[in-house]
Amino acid sequence: MARSLWTGSLSFGLVNVPVSLVTAVRDLDLHFRQLHEKDGAPIEVQRWCANENHEVAFEEITHGYELDDGDQVIVSDLELQAVEPRRTRTIDIGQFVDLADVDPIYFVHPYFLVPAGEDDGSARAYRLLCEVMSRTERAALGRFVMRAKEYLAIVGERDGALTLTTMRFADEVRDPKDVDAATQKTHKPTRKQLDAAVAVIEELTCEWLPDKHKDRYRARLKHVVDRKRKGKTIKAPANAGQPEPAADLMAALEQTLEELSAGRSGRWSEKRTAETAS
Amino acid sequence: MPRSIWNGTITFGLTVLPIKVHSAVEDHGVHFHQVHAKDGARIKQVRICSKEDKEVPYKQVAKGYEVRGGAYVMLTQDEIDAAAGEQSHLIELEEFVRAEEIDPVVYDHTYYLGAGEDGEDAYRLLHDALARAERVGIGRWTFHNREYLVAVRALDAMLALHTMRFAEELVDADSLDLPAPSRKPTKREVEMAGTLVESLHDGFTPASFHDDYRERVLELIKAKARGEEPDLPEPAEEAGGMDLAAALEASLGTSANGGKGKDTQSGGKRTSPRPRKRTSKAKS
Repeated sequence: MARSLWTGSLSFGLVNVPVSLVTAVRDLDLHFRQLHEKDGAPIEVQRWCANENHEVAFEEITHGYELDDGDQVIVSDLELQAVEPRRTRTIDIGQFVDLADVDPIYFVHPYFLVPAGEDDGSARAYRLLCEVMSRTERAALGRFVMRAKEYLAIVGERDGALTLTTMRFADEVRDPKDVDAATQKTHKPTRKQLDAAVAVIEELTCEWLPDKHKDRYRARLKHVVDRKRKGKTIKAPANAGQPEPAADLMAALEQTLEELSAGRSGRWSEKRTAETAS
Repeated sequence: MPRSIWNGTITFGLTVLPIKVHSAVEDHGVHFHQVHAKDGARIKQVRICSKEDKEVPYKQVAKGYEVRGGAYVMLTQDEIDAAAGEQSHLIELEEFVRAEEIDPVVYDHTYYLGAGEDGEDAYRLLHDALARAERVGIGRWTFHNREYLVAVRALDAMLALHTMRFAEELVDADSLDLPAPSRKPTKREVEMAGTLVESLHDGFTPASFHDDYRERVLELIKAKARGEEPDLPEPAEEAGGMDLAAALEASLGTSANGGKGKDTQSGGKRTSPRPRKRTSKAKS
């Protein structure tokens, strides 16, 4: 099982459930090391003092904050620890919300909470929370501190386990007022266009099967590494062009529906190219 | 809103929609530079060749993939970038799925989409159609030399795009090996816990939560800039074991007259409207 990143307790009213936090996401990325191109030797990154131009030991490094006027304030680890919230080992649940009320835009990283206590009482308290949340479709909002940072988190239930997802604070979600969302009346689709677009979407709807979608990037990167290992050359694929927006939305929708009803749904890109060429 | 970070085209069927991608979130964390404690000078990262023991300029750095202990396949950045595939600036929505079928745990990073040149009508059409059909469009997006699985959905008056995690990247709850309690929670415990959840239930008002830690760090910095020395508080202790039913009962006793789920640590006002709601109002 995954390594625990944090251990503490989930505090729910006066109930304390000892839990530890494990990540819910696996890192499957290919990792590369920096090499010196000339001799293929690994590169070691050293921390140097910009002033004295020599290497500095880790213990001699501290934190500098640059003020607006360019002056610098030095802050030590101890001082930073001093402003950490008092209850650093507790996930304090203050509120329950309807899951549907929390937009995923606030979610940062998903974790699982696993029971950390040896005693039967902890396991039962954990099970109780799972059961209640699954039954009510509610999730808990709470705060906790991990690695010297305070997080807002949402605790929920999935497949019989408690989940914790760290969240962004409201001021970290940008105000979309400058995004051109084409909300002017003049861009409002006609009923006929909207009906046709919904019909296209419904025709192209299938069941969500997460396993069906594979990480083609990772597969291609592995392939690139394998080819290089065998001494073959790597060619960058050609850059494809961009299709032009159709002048007549309704015509594009109607033709899509025609193609779909004739069972010729594959390779839209070729059809678009054929159209612009004709 | 800063300018867009990517311009391209979304297609569904034969409909073509020029779009601009904007990041939907920004990091407000307090960032420090590493400095040398002795003289306050900045720390710089220096790349040293482990063979020659000499500094290596960035231009001479290649990427190595370890095939076995200490043996690397060496690639240039261009060769790695080739794995991105066609740099097509095109997001083709290949299929649509019902919004409620997607567990939000698959959503990774969020972006806002804006209409590109001459794309306004098609933008609004896709937005309104997704909202009415309660569907999410699924496609692939090549961004910064990497291909992502993405979901396009209606978010208030906008289109939003999420990069998605692949199924194999997600840890299965079954693999956690959760300990089974000797007996299930009693009916009474479930009822009491349900009542407690109900008493703490409230609407989600994101603006009522503040990053208190960030504010305290900034206060510390200000105090130090004025030449003040901070106090060091004592660490707190944790409570030990407990009687589940008794704790639930006691919690219900305290929450009955204690008001509904306040953000206890910030004491923030709950009157400010959601930023998303406010925006849609301003637009209409």
